[in-house]
Amino acid sequence: MTQKRTVDRPRIDAHEKVLGRALYAADQPIPGLLHAMTVPATIVTGRIEAIDLTAAMNVQGVVRVFTHEDFSQIKTTPASRGAYGQPGKGYQPMTGPVVRHRGEPVVLVVAETLEAAIEGAEAVKVRYADEAFSAAMEDDRAGREPEPESELSTGDAEAAFASANHRIDVEYLHPQQHHNPIELISTTAAFEDGELRIYEGTQAAAAFAGGLAGMMGLDPTQLRGVSPYTGGGFGQKNGIQEQSVLVASAAALLNRPVKLVMPRNQLFHTASYRPRSRHRVRLGADEQGRLLAGLYETVQQNSRYDGFGCEHGANPPRMYGYGSWLGSDRVVRVDTQTPGHQRAPHEHPSSFATECAMDELAEAVGMDPVELRLANDTQNDPITGKPFSSRHLADCLRRGAKLVDWSRRMREPRALVAENGDLIGLGVACGSYKGSMTPAVTRLRLFASGRCEIATSGHEMGQGIRNVIAAELTDVLGIDPENLEIRIGDTGHAPQHLTAGSWGTGSAAPAARSAAMKLREELGLLTGSALSEEPVHVQLARTRRPLLEVTVDTIPLGKDGQAIEQLRRGIPSTTGPEYPEFMAFSWIAHFAEVRVETSTGRVRVRRVVSVVDCGRVMNRRTAQSQVQGGVVWGIGAALREAGETDPRFGGVLNNDLAEYVLPVNADIGAIDVDFIDQPDFKLNISGVKGLGEVAMVGASAAVVNAVYNATGRRVRHLPIRIEDLL
Amino acid sequence: MSGPHDRQSIEITRRQVLEAGTIVTMSGMLPVAAEAQTSSSQLPPENGSTVQVSFQINGQPSTLEIDARASLLDMLRERLGLVGAKKGCDHGQCGACTVHIDGRRVASCLTVAAKVDGRKVTTIEGIGSADALHPMQQAFIDHDALQCGYCTPGQIMAAIACVKEGHASTPEDIREYMSGNICRCGAYVGIVASIEQAAPQIERG
Repeated sequence: MTQKRTVDRPRIDAHEKVLGRALYAADQPIPGLLHAMTVPATIVTGRIEAIDLTAAMNVQGVVRVFTHEDFSQIKTTPASRGAYGQPGKGYQPMTGPVVRHRGEPVVLVVAETLEAAIEGAEAVKVRYADEAFSAAMEDDRAGREPEPESELSTGDAEAAFASANHRIDVEYLHPQQHHNPIELISTTAAFEDGELRIYEGTQAAAAFAGGLAGMMGLDPTQLRGVSPYTGGGFGQKNGIQEQSVLVASAAALLNRPVKLVMPRNQLFHTASYRPRSRHRVRLGADEQGRLLAGLYETVQQNSRYDGFGCEHGANPPRMYGYGSWLGSDRVVRVDTQTPGHQRAPHEHPSSFATECAMDELAEAVGMDPVELRLANDTQNDPITGKPFSSRHLADCLRRGAKLVDWSRRMREPRALVAENGDLIGLGVACGSYKGSMTPAVTRLRLFASGRCEIATSGHEMGQGIRNVIAAELTDVLGIDPENLEIRIGDTGHAPQHLTAGSWGTGSAAPAARSAAMKLREELGLLTGSALSEEPVHVQLARTRRPLLEVTVDTIPLGKDGQAIEQLRRGIPSTTGPEYPEFMAFSWIAHFAEVRVETSTGRVRVRRVVSVVDCGRVMNRRTAQSQVQGGVVWGIGAALREAGETDPRFGGVLNNDLAEYVLPVNADIGAIDVDFIDQPDFKLNISGVKGLGEVAMVGASAAVVNAVYNATGRRVRHLPIRIEDLL
Repeated sequence: MSGPHDRQSIEITRRQVLEAGTIVTMSGMLPVAAEAQTSSSQLPPENGSTVQVSFQINGQPSTLEIDARASLLDMLRERLGLVGAKKGCDHGQCGACTVHIDGRRVASCLTVAAKVDGRKVTTIEGIGSADALHPMQQAFIDHDALQCGYCTPGQIMAAIACVKEGHASTPEDIREYMSGNICRCGAYVGIVASIEQAAPQIERG
C-alpha cells in the first residue's frame, strides 16, 4: 500500500482546545486538593543555617511546612533533574542544608488555599551562610573541563585552511535563552485507585513512574505519570523537575493530594534553559567557493553538577561537502542551575554561527550565498563517508529562492530601499536535524461498533502527534478519526518513551502503521478475504466478534529487542543520525526579508519563506504550523531573547515575561512554508523524518544575514538590538 | 528554629497506598468542582479575611464567600472549576488568563476577584458549545491557530474583544491589538487569519 501524501485535516484536539475543555495538569478536578508554594533561595551557593517557620505555621490555612529535614531521604538518581541519565550527576534541592544555585526551592509550604500557601511562603525566614561562586564562564573560578565533550575530524583541516584562497575566522556568541512554554510547570500528586498519580505537563510521563519511584524508594508500580496534554514543552519538560519529587513526597507524607504551580519568576531558576555558548568558526574555500576546510570550536556554560552534553559540532560538518573538518566542543562549569535541551538545543546556536559564517564567506569569495551553498551540496556525510538516507536540500534552496524572489537581492548592502526609506535586506540560511526514532509498544483495538482505541507511546505538546497517529490508522484501515480514541502520555495505558529530539513522528507513525497493518492482517484471517471495500468494523461485525485487539512492538532500525526492555523500564532508547548503511537528517532552507528603519535601527521581519525536506508530510496543516512556530522561535532568538545574568549575584535578572522578551504577534509577518514531501522509506515504513526542531535550525541565521544585507552590519552575537545597528 | 511539626518517614508501603486509595474512594463522594458552583457551602473554608461576591458567570448568577486576596483567575479555576482561563505568568504579561468583564477583556490574574461584584464575567466556557461553536472558535480550528492549546482560550477571548473594539479592520491592527497574548508555539499567522475570517460574523461592540 502506498501512503497518501499531503493529507490536510483539522487538528484532532482543536475542538477541545478552542472550547477550553482540554484538561492540562493543573486543571485536573481533584477533591480535597491542597496548594503548595515554594520559597526560593536568595543566595547562589552556601549553607542553610536556620529556617524560622513560626510565622508561616501561624498563617491560617497552612497545613504543613516542609524543609530539607523532611526530604533528606530523597535520593538523587540518574533520573533526577540535571543528571541526564548519568550516575553521579544531577542535583535535587531540599535534600540537605545546602544551596547550589540561586532560586532553588528551600522550603515548601502546603495550605488549604493558594492564598494561604503564598502568604505562608512569604512568612518563612531563612538564614544562610553564603560562599564564593562564579556565575559566568569568563570568571576565574569557572571550571573548564579538561577534555572536550566531543570531537569530529576528517582530513588535515589546519593545513587545508592555511593554504585556502579565501579564509574566514570569526567568533559568534550565543546568549542564554529560556523556553518559557506558556503552561507553567505544575505538579499535582494524588492517591487515586491505589496508586500515586503524578499529573505534570511533560514530554516524559515514564519519568514520573520509574524515575520518581527510584528517588522516593518506591516500587514503580505504585506511581503513574499522567500527561494527556502538555502546554508546550520545547525540551523544558523532558524529565523530572526540581519540584516534582518534593510535591509527590509532600502528598505521600500528608496523605492528601497536593498541587504546586511554580511561579514564572522561579521557573527561570529551577527549570532548564539553553546555556550561553561561544563559537569560533574558520572556513577555507578555493576560488570557486568550494569548501576546503572547516574548523569549529565551541564552549558551553554548564552547571557544576549536570550531565548535559555539548554537541554543537554534530551537524555543521554534515551540511556541506567539506574537504576537511576539525571540530571540538568544550564545557565550562559555573554555579548555576542545570541547563538543558531547548528546541534545536545545539543545532540552533551552531547554525547561527556556521550559517552566518557561510554568508561572510560568500561575500569574501564574491558569490551569491545561495550559489555558494549549492556549489557545496553533497549526498555523502564528509565525516563517516556514508550516504544520507535522503537529502533534498538543493531543492529546498531552489524552491525557496523562487518563492521569495531572491533575484531582487542586491549583493551590496544598503542597496535595496523601500518607499518609506527603510532598508530592505534578504538573507538565506540552511539547517539540519538528525532523523531519530524510538521503540514503542502499541495496543490497537477495533470494536464492531466502529469505535477504535489506540494506546501507544507519545506526548502531545502541540506538535500534533495525535494527527500523526490518526493519519496512519486512517491510511491503512480507513478509520474515521471521529471514532478514534488515542491514549498517549500516560504510563497507565502504554509504556511511554521520552518525546523529544524530533523523533515523535518518526516513532509514533511507524508504530501506528505497524499496528494497523497487523490488525488488517488478523481481520483478513478472520474473514477469509484478503481485501474488502467494506469498512473494517463492518467486516469485524460479520465475524460476530465484538472487538479485535492487536499488540505490536516497534523496534527502530539498528536496534534489537533490548530497546523494548529499556522502554518498559522507562529508559530512553534512541537511534540516529548514524545507521548501519546511512546517515539520516531532515533539511531546511530559510529565506528572510527584513526591513530596517534607518533612524531608529528597528528591524522588522516582513516575510520568511521556509522549504523543508522532512520526508513524508503526515498532515500538511499541523506540519505547516510547526514550521511557522520554529520560524517564530528563530525570529525571537535573532531579535529578542536573552536571559541576562549578573555575574556578581548569579541568577537571571529578567525573570518574567515582561523583561524576557518573547516574540509577540506584532513581531511576526508572513511565514510561507513549503514541503518537498518525498518519503524516506529507508528510515521507516511511514517514510517520515523529524520536523519540530529542524523548523528552527537556520532561521535566526537567515534573519541575521538579511540584517547584514540591509545594513552592512555584521552582528556576531544574539539578539541583534537597536544599539547594534545605530 | 526548626519546624514544630512531626517528622515522618516518606516510605510508603503497599498497604498505605491501598489505604489511601480507600480514602480517595470515599472523598470521591464530595462535590466535584462543577457541582460546587451551586453549593458553595460545601467548599472548604476560605482563609484570612473573606468577602462575599455576587456576579454573573457565563449568564448564571453566582454568590461566593472568597478570600479577599483572591485573583479572579484563581477564583474561576480553584473555586468555580472553570479551568479554561489559564495561568501563564500571574503578572498580566502573557494574556492566557484573558476573560471578559461586562464585555471588556481583562487579565483575570491581575483582577481582584472581589472587584467583579455586580458584574458579568464571561469565560471561554461561556461563548460557544460543542455543537454550536462561536465563529472565532471555528476560525481558530479552520486556520490551525493553535498548537499546544494552552494560550488558546485567552487568545480567543482577546480576539473576540479585538473585533468588538473595532481593532480588526487590517492585519496590522490585529497584530498590534493581539500582542498582549503570547503564543509560544508561534501560531500568530493563523491567529491573524482566524480573526480576519471571524470578524465579519461578530457584531462590533
